[in-house]
Amino acid sequence: MKNWQKLTALALGVCLSLGVMTGCGNDKAASTGGQKVLTIGDTTFNSSNEEPDVNPHNAYAGWACIRYGIGETLIKYTDNMEIQPWLAVKWENPDELTWKFTLRDNVTFSSGRKLDATAVKQCFEHLVASNKRAAQDLKIASMEANGMELIIKTTEPKPALLNYLGDPYGCIIDVDAGFENGLVAGTGPYIATDMKTDDHLTLKKNENYWGGTPKLDKITIRTITDGNTLANALQSGEVQAAYGMAYESYPLFRNDKYTISQISTSRCFFGKMNFAPDSVCANPAVRKAISMGIDKENFVNKLLDSNGFPANGVFPAGPAFGGDKVKAEEFDPEGAKKVLENAGWTDTDGDGIREKNGKKLVVKWLTYPSRQELPLLAESAQATLKDIGIEVDINNTADNNQVVKDPKAWDIYAMANVQAPTGDPEYWFTVFATSNATKNQGKYNNAKLDELEAQLSREFNPEKRAQLALEMQQIILDDHAFVFCSFLKMSMISKANVKNYTSHACDYYQVTADLDVE
Amino acid sequence: MNVKKEPTIRLQKIQPNRLNQKLYIFGGLALLLIICSFFSDQLTPYDPYLQDLSLTKAPPSSEHLLGTDRYGRDMLSRVIAGSKTSIFSTLLLVGFIATFGSLVGIICARVGKTFDTVLMRTADMFLAFPGLVFALAVAAVLGGGVHNAIFALAAISWPKYARLARSQTLAIESAPFIQAAKMAGSGPIKLIRKHILPNIAGPILVTAMLDIGTMMMELAGLSFLGLGAKPPIPEWGSMMSDTRNLLPTQPWVTLAPGFAIFISVMIFNLLGDTVRDYLDPKNRR
Repeated sequence: MKNWQKLTALALGVCLSLGVMTGCGNDKAASTGGQKVLTIGDTTFNSSNEEPDVNPHNAYAGWACIRYGIGETLIKYTDNMEIQPWLAVKWENPDELTWKFTLRDNVTFSSGRKLDATAVKQCFEHLVASNKRAAQDLKIASMEANGMELIIKTTEPKPALLNYLGDPYGCIIDVDAGFENGLVAGTGPYIATDMKTDDHLTLKKNENYWGGTPKLDKITIRTITDGNTLANALQSGEVQAAYGMAYESYPLFRNDKYTISQISTSRCFFGKMNFAPDSVCANPAVRKAISMGIDKENFVNKLLDSNGFPANGVFPAGPAFGGDKVKAEEFDPEGAKKVLENAGWTDTDGDGIREKNGKKLVVKWLTYPSRQELPLLAESAQATLKDIGIEVDINNTADNNQVVKDPKAWDIYAMANVQAPTGDPEYWFTVFATSNATKNQGKYNNAKLDELEAQLSREFNPEKRAQLALEMQQIILDDHAFVFCSFLKMSMISKANVKNYTSHACDYYQVTADLDVE
Repeated sequence: MNVKKEPTIRLQKIQPNRLNQKLYIFGGLALLLIICSFFSDQLTPYDPYLQDLSLTKAPPSSEHLLGTDRYGRDMLSRVIAGSKTSIFSTLLLVGFIATFGSLVGIICARVGKTFDTVLMRTADMFLAFPGLVFALAVAAVLGGGVHNAIFALAAISWPKYARLARSQTLAIESAPFIQAAKMAGSGPIKLIRKHILPNIAGPILVTAMLDIGTMMMELAGLSFLGLGAKPPIPEWGSMMSDTRNLLPTQPWVTLAPGFAIFISVMIFNLLGDTVRDYLDPKNRR
């Protein structure tokens, strides 16, 4: 071969190698063309979590709206989940049915419109018309807008109205600006400019933000549902901050190059039972045995690497309505075996799985992968329940929201949820447990619980509210309608040069005007 | 100065003794794997399903030679138990597609006409899709599970054998010994069994041997993507998928099934190559 041919081949080889290596070390500079940019990877910003866009009036998409600094609510929560002013500077409650809010004066929407009571009234009208959960929570009878003063009248006493208005669905948006492609005009530090469901969201700085100039010019939120991919993306620099990382990947980031911001939250892994007549969970003994057959302690210590706490009741230990004040089933495999034995479930064919009237005790366990440890809970429960004679058939799918609509497709739906995002206990019961709850897909129904909820919704005294919440939790636990497994410490991981990317107890406020890259 | 060299590839005869030696070695190793997969229940040192969270992610030790996974299950036991699913399923799959595909091919060649045209165009249709993508679609429609994954791969893989068997049958159809057998009164079944099959078995066998490795990888691939074995059934592909985020921190959990796939595929591929060389008339002159 002639020399020039060899040289050409060598040169081409070098070019090819360089071309291949361009994929490596994608550690983008924080400053691109003089602009400060940040890319955040998120495992949970997806349609599987009912966050297909950032329209707060659509399902749970308000979480994305508030998390990424697009929208803001009338009130916000402190780190201790106490209420403080935000878009409303003050409020009063002249009688049980009337709430009078005074709005912040110097706020404009990203559409250019000035925030006033009329805009807020329009927003709430659209909200209750399009979001069943909000309509049920807020019980708004009428609204009156006078300049910067908004008067809300409710159909019944709503002591938790303020808490509900802090829910992400309460983000104040300019309804007249429209909802094109799921994008909305809010009042937050960043403006959503582009979005593709389950792929990405692009944000730009809101130059007219009332709370000071945001420090970053552009933020991209990338939906990366796979925890492993997210870990690789953060290591390679493809994203500079991450939310929803698998706990198993944390050892990779416990060093000087990264910052981990962690806080205990009321985010809970729990299973809801299916009460449909065809479901094995319609049988009280099966529900009780399942509640006694899940090893929460070891799940938290070993599979969550102690990044959480075993759950007892609906809420974490601490507040007056905390789960430490109710009695739940303890992990007791021998006791669970007896419960099943007494209910007539016995293993007649010697395969280790119990039967009754020729029907095998198989529990269809539905869960989803975007909360990285839910599949681990499923497999851990599968082993401990097999020990007591229950076979668990796991369906771990991102299509969970469709599957759960078919009552024959599941017996337990294991999910993750922030139990008290509004700092008040009522929210959880009206979303999951009462007979008309918006997400009571298992059709759990207890008249006493509904009656107590009716009382709770009218009760203004915090001590009495807590007492009612405790009674309601106990009813749920006695019915074994839900099994609460663990509360999580929520964490956000970022490169060390990313500043003020901080976890919050309510798990909402992620992108703020202070978020910066050095 | 250009000196014309003799081409070295393929024309050089492999020593028959060396070939026999290779055949015995790789055949022996493959047999060992198959025996291991058949008797996996007896060979596992621990129960591969038994969780013990006090032993979670334990590194390899004298008690647990390949360490434990995140549920404290013994990895060696799971890898051995996984061989049942992985190797046995692959052999079943290859055996089925080779038999079914060949039968279709022979019948097409013998019957001919419209029957042949319809079946061969159907085979062409299957061959027109990218293999694994089509298998993914089939497995996704049928739902997860080893049986469905095997069915999906079988559905896309049989046409290769049908075409091979058909072309081989057509090639010997006019051979004098076939004509002689026909004239001697052999019926169609006897003709296929006694005269056609023994003469076309070589290429089909070689293809099947070489396919074992590929099918094992594809089956593991489907399981890796969540369309094969469901937890807690140990299957090498799904074991790798479930534990891939432990690769940087507890690598033994992911590497154990990975090496099992690597070694098995390598043994079956080398055996396939050796069988091909063995049956190659050029090497046996």
